[in-house]
Amino acid sequence: MEQDMVTPGLRNSGDDTWIHSACDMCFAACGIIAHKQDGVLVKIDGDPNCPASEGNLCANGQAGLIGLYDPSRVKTPLKRTNPKKGLGVDPQWQEITWAEALDILTEKLTKVRREDPRKLVITSFDQIALSYFIRPAWGVAFGTPNTDWVGYYCGNYLHASMYLTNGSFHSDFDLDYCNYAILLGNQQGFMAGLNANVAARKMAEARKRGMRVVVVDPVGTNAAAKADEWVPIRPGTDGAFILSLIHVLVNEIGCYDREFLSFRSNGAYLVGEDGHYLRETASSKPLVWNRRTGKAVPFDQEGIDPALEGVFEVQGHKCQPAFQLLKKQVRAYDPEKVAEITTIPAGTIRRIAKEFGEAARIGSTIVLDGKTLPYRPVAVNIYRGAGAHKHGTHTALAVQTLNMVVGAFYVPGGHRGVNLVGPNGRWSPGATKEGLITPPSEIGRAARYYDFEARPPEDMGLHELFPLTTNRSPLYQLNASQESPFKLPYTPEVLIVCRRNLMMNNVSAQSGAEMLMKIPFVVTFSVHLDEVAEFADLVLPEAHYLERFDLFPNRPSHTMSPATGHFYWGLRQPVIEPLGQARRWIDVLYEVADRMGFLGDVYRLMNVNLGIKGPYKLNPSERYSMEEIYDRWTKSLFGPERGISWFKENGYHKVPRAVEERYPGPFLRARFPIYYENMLEARKSVEKLSEQIHLKWDTSDYVPLANWKPCPAFSDGTKEYDLYVVNYKLPFHSLSITTQNPWLNEMAESHPYAYRIMINAETAKRKEILDGQEICVESVAGKVKGRAKVTQCIHPEVLGIAGVFGSWAKGKPVANGKGVHFNNLLPISVERLDPVSAGVDSCIRVRVTKA
Amino acid sequence: MRYGMVIDLKTCIGCNACTMACKAEHATPAGIFYAKVLEKEVGKFPAARRIFLPVLCNHCENPICREVCPTGATYKRQDGIVLVDYDKCIGCRACMEACPYWARTYYDGDGAYYPGERTLFEEIKQNFPEGVVMKCNFCAHRVDQRVEPACVQTCPTDCRIFGDLDDPTSEVSRLVAERKGRQLLAEKGLNPSVYYIE
Repeated sequence: MEQDMVTPGLRNSGDDTWIHSACDMCFAACGIIAHKQDGVLVKIDGDPNCPASEGNLCANGQAGLIGLYDPSRVKTPLKRTNPKKGLGVDPQWQEITWAEALDILTEKLTKVRREDPRKLVITSFDQIALSYFIRPAWGVAFGTPNTDWVGYYCGNYLHASMYLTNGSFHSDFDLDYCNYAILLGNQQGFMAGLNANVAARKMAEARKRGMRVVVVDPVGTNAAAKADEWVPIRPGTDGAFILSLIHVLVNEIGCYDREFLSFRSNGAYLVGEDGHYLRETASSKPLVWNRRTGKAVPFDQEGIDPALEGVFEVQGHKCQPAFQLLKKQVRAYDPEKVAEITTIPAGTIRRIAKEFGEAARIGSTIVLDGKTLPYRPVAVNIYRGAGAHKHGTHTALAVQTLNMVVGAFYVPGGHRGVNLVGPNGRWSPGATKEGLITPPSEIGRAARYYDFEARPPEDMGLHELFPLTTNRSPLYQLNASQESPFKLPYTPEVLIVCRRNLMMNNVSAQSGAEMLMKIPFVVTFSVHLDEVAEFADLVLPEAHYLERFDLFPNRPSHTMSPATGHFYWGLRQPVIEPLGQARRWIDVLYEVADRMGFLGDVYRLMNVNLGIKGPYKLNPSERYSMEEIYDRWTKSLFGPERGISWFKENGYHKVPRAVEERYPGPFLRARFPIYYENMLEARKSVEKLSEQIHLKWDTSDYVPLANWKPCPAFSDGTKEYDLYVVNYKLPFHSLSITTQNPWLNEMAESHPYAYRIMINAETAKRKEILDGQEICVESVAGKVKGRAKVTQCIHPEVLGIAGVFGSWAKGKPVANGKGVHFNNLLPISVERLDPVSAGVDSCIRVRVTKA
Repeated sequence: MRYGMVIDLKTCIGCNACTMACKAEHATPAGIFYAKVLEKEVGKFPAARRIFLPVLCNHCENPICREVCPTGATYKRQDGIVLVDYDKCIGCRACMEACPYWARTYYDGDGAYYPGERTLFEEIKQNFPEGVVMKCNFCAHRVDQRVEPACVQTCPTDCRIFGDLDDPTSEVSRLVAERKGRQLLAEKGLNPSVYYIE
């Protein structure tokens, strides 16, 4: 663009207005400016003032406005009159007033609260501030622990591994300096993942300056299309590939970051034959072998030279440094063996390992803002494709271990978790007595990593049975759908679905339906009469995101990439008045709390959760609008001049990131573990608990080093189910939320892959399937039909189905019947969950036939 | 003055943000896209990949569409932007036949996005006379206010660059020269104003 041309600014005048708000077409919540003329929204652009979009906006964000005017939106509360429920059964809706709807809701909730408040379950995948602060306050005040049921598209395995290895929630890497990136089952930088817009721009800049990108994925995705190298891999074997890279680096070519492993990690900690650290008796600090003195000393003693290799005898015990154990562990993954597992040739594995190791420039430094930092411009990044398998936590642990082996951890060019350190010390990680990283309280309060409690679970997410994870959503479903094998002292009575498609972003429709039919009263806040509404007793018209007022839709601690260069706090504000009688679910729940008499308790909890202090504290005997609460919250956080009106006008409170906040690794004392002794404690706790509740439970994934085990699909190959099927992301659709958008639908209809089933050309030939032919794909759980896309861009053993398509609700006339519903092929069972993170295994074996 | 666009095929990721930004900016009827991203596969597994080609009206220096237009509806501005005057267009579609880039679409009057109901957005913005030929106008209305075209502004990888091809110091001219910009079907001699670099 020529220098003298400008992007649109905020020209607020009369009937021509630009409004700061935030997108909600995916979880990234990029800043937008909405252009309104004569009361009608006419265009949305990326907000140039938002560090996450900087004036850019993806296809979903651009298309958002047409959905606002969708005539099939729910406009009034609706009551079911047909008591029979089922897939395809007409609920026979009756329009009711909000007053009636609130009466019904209040009566049901009052009854449940009197009987046992835990019988109330809330599910939502609504954005961060609502999920982390406001909804939990309501849930705790009501008395139910069952309020954190979110989608299965979330990164269960990723978050579990990130907390453990990084003390952070989400994975990212430094596109400003990275020179060699391996994308394992993800498309970060290609309009997917964290802060997708800014990541796409930085990825483009990095590729222009020569960063090499290797995409490891069964599907030739958009990322694979642009990669320097696409490495097709058999689904579910990514962990073996990564462990093989580590093997080549540490055992074959001796390439690893001794400094990082010795001083920034627990690689030197001496481990006894029982798997536990050897500790100094008085301080109970783990010991390391000081090569300088030939003695075992506490890990944090100054001036030592810790051994990473060797076998020693200390306190009469044979012991080895953790890194030595890692070296031994990865010997099981030599490239020849792993080639058979992954279908990636051994030569390719060795070459990538060598390239990665060389590109890491171990030992080099870089000076940024006058500070000399280690420079490790390589990263391997993982997301759903590689992780959403049984044992996926271990795959994610292997990924972090590889980053640590070359020292590419929170330093320029390398991997980093997001926001381990807050702005100006607002938050920072802690350390265990072993010196290992623990999440800052802002990030990690939902999981326990170093102390466990074997107490029979009371919540549907079974916290105590899955102590190392934060997202236990699939367990809600297991607990709701059958005679619970987990012996909960109650069964769910009322389910409130807050703007979430629990049927589509789930496993097979049949299992979803069976589960919903078990719950006596289902309320859904929804924009459309969607697949969940079909099972609801009460449907309440939810406000469209362009009608909503949400503070901090993208919080700095969890999902904000350091690539934005800032910490920032923004808001989503209504662009137009809600259509019909639409309301935001949280406002309705607050009104119900007031009617039931516990709103004062909600306020007390919000003061704590939101950190509202001093004169801004909510008085439990007063009543506030949500806008007043937001005003107090922002003023309490940022001072009296930063009230909600300031945010409405200006959009963002931004704090630039100092070098210590972008690359905190070298500035921290806490270390990042490659060896997880706490897994042994977790195992004991889970074993004790499963005994207590008479449950046969597999605890074999609670081991202290990353490993790879085959997921069910790997082992399930029989003659009948000869292919794998996987799901992948398109850059212009996001979960089920975009499917009813007619612009995005039209684009998907004309796209070569979006609504089709990808099948490799050789495989198709063998099965006599032609391009465009209607085919049927069947697993043990379900069956889908669709048109074949015969392609070179997929692994021959794999079928690929994009997105969350194949809607069947009559209330979504645009989406109805379009594309293929991948999730219908997935079953749910304890056996198909990742035992550490509780993530649902999202690949399965199928057979394909001509329809 | 000759406005032109350079599209960097190295950094285009096929995300179609441009397609949607154009749709929203112009409120084009269903089935009509001024901006599109074409894609196809090259090579054989495992050395296969998809390639992306964003396309739009090329705003040719010698527009054949203008040559064949019997009513003078298609015209070229001083700044090189090729436009259609709907008041003069009779929908004969000679331009569609002539354009080697298939950049034009005939509008038959349908095109609301939701069955049976035009949205408020469409009421306000989708006001094309029935029976005309439509195409990309390089966002002339924005360019006139010194605002870059919608597809350029939104592109998440900044792979589209807009500017004056006649100015040798402009970024578009520099990119065409330094990175050997290529035109589509250059052999047709129409001298398109859209260049591609890799």
